Amino acid sequence: MGDVVTAMAYFWGLMLLSYFLMQNGMWILNDVVKSMCRFALGKAIGPPIDFVEGRQGSASKTWIMQGMFWLIIASLFTFEGLWLAYDPHALHSLSSWGYNPTSNSLLYAAGFAALYGGVGMLIIGSSFHIIPKLADTELASEKNGTLVSYLWTLAVLFLIIAAHDSEILGINIFLFGTTLHGLAYLAVLINLLLTASERKSALPLPGWLIMLGMLADPVSVVATILAGIGSGAVQWLLAHLVSGTFFFATLAGISLYVSSSATGNPLWSRSLTAVTTVGAIATITPMGYTHGKMAADMLLVSFEEVSMQSTDGIAVAFLMALAVIPVMALVANVMMTLRGGDAFVENPDSAGVPEINLGTSMLLPLVVASLFVQSDALSHSPELSGISSTLVLMVIWLVLVPLALGSAQNIFPAVTGRNLLSANRSRWAFWMMGWGAFFGLAITMMADIAQIEAAADSTGIMSGEVRVVGAILFYGTAIGAILHTLNALSGLYRGTPVSEGRATSTSISRDDYSLTTPTSVRKILAGGAHLDTNIVPVAESDDAGAPTELH
Amino acid sequence: MLKGHTSVVVVSRLARTGDEMSSDSADSVGEFIQGESEPSSSWMFMAMGIVLSLATLILHGMLFPGHDLPVISDILPVFEGVFDSGIWFFILGIMMGVFAIIATMMTEATSE
Repeated sequence: MGDVVTAMAYFWGLMLLSYFLMQNGMWILNDVVKSMCRFALGKAIGPPIDFVEGRQGSASKTWIMQGMFWLIIASLFTFEGLWLAYDPHALHSLSSWGYNPTSNSLLYAAGFAALYGGVGMLIIGSSFHIIPKLADTELASEKNGTLVSYLWTLAVLFLIIAAHDSEILGINIFLFGTTLHGLAYLAVLINLLLTASERKSALPLPGWLIMLGMLADPVSVVATILAGIGSGAVQWLLAHLVSGTFFFATLAGISLYVSSSATGNPLWSRSLTAVTTVGAIATITPMGYTHGKMAADMLLVSFEEVSMQSTDGIAVAFLMALAVIPVMALVANVMMTLRGGDAFVENPDSAGVPEINLGTSMLLPLVVASLFVQSDALSHSPELSGISSTLVLMVIWLVLVPLALGSAQNIFPAVTGRNLLSANRSRWAFWMMGWGAFFGLAITMMADIAQIEAAADSTGIMSGEVRVVGAILFYGTAIGAILHTLNALSGLYRGTPVSEGRATSTSISRDDYSLTTPTSVRKILAGGAHLDTNIVPVAESDDAGAPTELH
Repeated sequence: MLKGHTSVVVVSRLARTGDEMSSDSADSVGEFIQGESEPSSSWMFMAMGIVLSLATLILHGMLFPGHDLPVISDILPVFEGVFDSGIWFFILGIMMGVFAIIATMMTEATSE
């Protein structure tokens, strides 16, 4: 049995054990463990815990705001990385300060800033709101949640410095980054587990997706260490397990929750949510880098090139192909929930919904593209490795960031008590960010392909000139991130208070309205019906997969 | 009075309330062409400033052809070798955005 298959077996075993423990508790040790965890989250930290506020929603708000700030840094690094691929000496004047960035180092740092700073913080911020809501309880420790966000930010800062230069004064900077990240992650996990343990009713499936996604990150680290993290194939596997669980599974749960809460529609299909939950854990997502450098660096082991045994290669190819199933299930579920059986109860233009639409629309094509690139990278003579780095950027900026940011924006009023300052600015920011990332990275990918062609037959267009166009277009993403942050920041102080309500008007006017399920007059009116609209009853279906109410 | 209701508009409004006013009277046309809002003073001064700067540049070019601009031509060489790539214009834009965020944080937190 190869290293990868062994690691996967450990991973599945540990995940089953984690699920069993979450469902059944730890027998007589239950109360002791809970008390110890509460102590660890609160009094054990000492005086610093009194410096942060513990109001309801404060932890979520702090994580979301910091996540938004990190998106600006991430987009700046990505923009600079794309530009330096065209002009490597563009930032040479910074060398007098001892800073000599290259395109690769900037894009690597951008990966940390976007994944752990931006997306990671937005995911955790949203989870701190969603899990208590689904569990019908309160977050175990708002104060700890708030305080730990700063620790996480410090960890990301160290990781970014280490991505540029891993060794300063003989010290491995990744050591600090990983240690702080591990501590912060542990605190977040304990906080969420304690919250889930206090649930008043069964946790709905999106809640399980979030919890299992969170748990799977440390579990995958343990599984790969047991299988031998020194191997390049296992390092690659760890990167993809984290990508498929902490990033994909949690975002899937959050998106499903928000698609339902934003539209007022019940979740379309419970079975598809179950498929997404099981599929995210049972398969290997193809989304991610074609190497395991990030995983190796964070675990302080030397990076090895990916080299797989034939049994591992077959298993990995099979599991990556299977990963398309949970993705398809998620896309269908979110899309149908957003569209609804009959109406968009809330404002269809409400903050975050366009981002979720964009992220969901781009998810399936990019997963299929990633599948081809990863399969190619694992073959003996890879031909598509030139576009793999741009494809990862596309996954980050067109799937992960829109889903995380859209969800965070949508729950922003519930968390802060105020709406975002301006719906208009939010719309502008969405278009700048979405189109900037789409066109900027699509053109960069064209340059990549041109470079592959040029290497093959020494002809083709000058890819450098195309690259700079891609970088300039991507600049829109940075501006969009700034506008989003300004909008949220001002909204914290001057946004319309939630108690006053907000405009939920629709410009759609309908003459006929098909009534598929029993529904409220409010919902019918929200769908664009007016006093003269004909209500047409359509046969109700009790088939399996009927809408699931998500409270 | 750059902003707000002008006296002409107020008079016109009063006239409109009269019973015998017709839709094509001079008063209604007067209100229509006057408008009720004016640009704020800050925008007026900014626009005037930009126009004045352009005019001064053109005037300098005509009066002293081939000569460097005073003061500015002495300052710019300081940045030679630093901002020698187009990327700096874009970074400058992001820096302005970041400063806007810092300014927003400070002003929002301290305003009543």
